[in-house]
Parts: sequence; C-alpha cells; structure tokens
Amino acid sequence: MHYQDTFLIENRLGLHARAASVLAQLALSFDAKVTLQQGDKEADGDSVLALMLLEGAQGKEVKVTCSGPDAELALKTIGELIANKFHEQE
Amino acid sequence: MINLFLSKDCTKAAVLFHSKKRILEYISQVAHQKLPELSEHEILNSLLKREKLGSTGIGKGIALPHGRLSNIEQTLAILVVNEEPIAFDAIDDRPVDIFITLLVPDVQCQTHLKTLAAIADKLKDKQFCKKLRNAQSDQNLYDIIAD
Repeated sequence: MHYQDTFLIENRLGLHARAASVLAQLALSFDAKVTLQQGDKEADGDSVLALMLLEGAQGKEVKVTCSGPDAELALKTIGELIANKFHEQE
Repeated sequence: MINLFLSKDCTKAAVLFHSKKRILEYISQVAHQKLPELSEHEILNSLLKREKLGSTGIGKGIALPHGRLSNIEQTLAILVVNEEPIAFDAIDDRPVDIFITLLVPDVQCQTHLKTLAAIADKLKDKQFCKKLRNAQSDQNLYDIIAD
C-alpha cells in the first residue's frame, strides 16, 4: 500500500545536514520504503547524502511517498517532522 | 564546485587519531592555520556545539562536522581521512574515517544547501569514497576530491 502527501519546508535552513539526518533516522525506524521528491529530483528517505542532494530550501514543497507495512504511520510521522520545522526554532 | 571552498592545505590524507575529540581538535588546528583570525578554541567550540545537537556522522563511514561562525565571509572546508575508522555516534552506528568539515558564515542558507549537495553528489559514489580512503598523500587526496 502506497501513502503519499506533499509538505512545505518551513524551517529557515531547509533540508540541511541535521534536518536530513533526523529525517533519515526517522525513515530508518519504520518498516517502510520512504522516498522524497522535490522538483525533478528523488531521494531515498533513509540516505542523508541523497536527501542533501534535493537541496530542499525553505518554501519548497516536497512529496513524500511511503510503502510497506508501516507506510501510513511513517508518512504521518515524517509529515509532522517537516511541518514542525524539524524541531528547529526558526 | 568543491575546490571553491576546499584548498590543498586543508586536505589531509592518512592521519591517525583515535577519538572524536582528538580528530575535531586536529581539524580545528588545520582550520586555524587557514583562518588565523579565529582561534583553534573558537573553531573547536563551534564544531562541538553542533555535535551536541546530534552527531554529524551521516552514515557509511562519513561525517560532516560543521560550525556556524559569525566572523567569516565564506565557507571553508577541511577534508581529513583517518587511517582507521573511529567511533563517532553516526546514525548507522558505523565508525567514521572520512571527515568533511565545513565552517559556514552564520547568515548563509541557500548557498549552504548547494555546498552540501555538491559534497553529497561526490560522496554518494562508493568507488569515490574508496579512492578517498586509499589516498596516500595530501596531494593525491586533493586531486581525487577536486577532480
């Protein structure tokens, strides 16, 4: 089962190294394949390097697709992380 | 693009340190030689401050230690390859031997994302990382990364 949604990157620094690491760790914790898409670029959610290649800046939209047993929960949790600015202040 | 912010004198192959603290101290020394207006202590503090927020070990034996500094004008990178992987609390729990450190002006956002993407683009290639690990001299390491 595939679950998909689009989220707005709101934190000032965007998908920088720490945000990418937090997201990758979260993706690794689920039994699900997580993919992020931004523009024409696509990245495995569990790879920090791949996530940094997206150059996800503040104000950009990112499409998250999850599949596998935990897909629904993975999408919800990752969506919340992005919406909560990766727990960053600004 | 990497050679815009990485110079030969900030590229160190086959060093040998045994702890996270020691290697960050060494990186701070190298950075201080390039940026004499900043003290080693100041540089080290910025790196340690960032590590406290979560390890910069991004997996696959690679770490991107970095610090934000208000008194620099452009990003400075320091590439260090340790002869033996060391514990770095990386997200995949693997020890780390490739350290690409970035000292970044604290106002920078968009350019920083481009810097990270340029580095990621190189490091995503396993064969490339193998070449970095096998480099025997600073010159050799610089030639590989700047190619």
